[in-house]
Amino acid sequence: MTTIEQQTLASLPKGFGLAIINSKAPFSSNDGKDALDVALMFGSFEQKVSLFFQGDGVYQLIANQDGRLVSIKDYLKTFSAFEFYDIEDIYVCQQSLVNRQLNETFHINDVQVLTSIEFSKALNRHQHVLRF
Amino acid sequence: MKTLAVVVTTPPYSHLTITALTYVEAALVAGINVIGVFFYQDGAMHANKDISIASDEYQAIAHWQRLQQQYQLPLHICITAAEKRGITCDSIDSEQVNKAFTVSGLGELVELTTKASRLVQF
Repeated sequence: MTTIEQQTLASLPKGFGLAIINSKAPFSSNDGKDALDVALMFGSFEQKVSLFFQGDGVYQLIANQDGRLVSIKDYLKTFSAFEFYDIEDIYVCQQSLVNRQLNETFHINDVQVLTSIEFSKALNRHQHVLRF
Repeated sequence: MKTLAVVVTTPPYSHLTITALTYVEAALVAGINVIGVFFYQDGAMHANKDISIASDEYQAIAHWQRLQQQYQLPLHICITAAEKRGITCDSIDSEQVNKAFTVSGLGELVELTTKASRLVQF
């Protein structure tokens, strides 16, 4: 939940695996789950994958949600398994949170809140990008 | 040698699929090594033989088939995405799966991504 230093980002090597951008709210479409499946598959093949949450995608990180209330399997619970798949780089766009008046209270740990510039720089470190 | 992998997430009746096809064909004509196209989400619908699009509209599936034959372009569909869209993939000879497509899983996407110099999503 800390804003990471730009220097930290600058020290990362180029061509740094796959970035997955999550841009959709969790329960209105299947995109979040589809993105999660891709992330976990890359993790289980020991391929570097980072997750970016932007726009309505930030709702996927907000605490105290339960998809079961709207009869949807709560795939957000699976986010807590990221550490077992060595998915450690999870970034959220601060401006997207501010625009939606959301607190930096997430249902998983070690989410890094980045300014727009930091967010785009972190994204730029990756060789490949998929967006859902 | 530079390699390209493409991910298609749009259905065969989507205009965005035409953009994907135009892009892939341009790459092939330019001699770029396109190592495969992975059909995910609604993209998996391309492999459904039972889809029939009005004859005066763009025939995306036929064009993918043509590229596959002409350039030996591998076309992979995600089995999970396909099955939830009514395409039965349980046997190798599933009659519902268009033969131009290979039934694969997300592991194939991992492989294509790690091999590709560039990955482009539609």
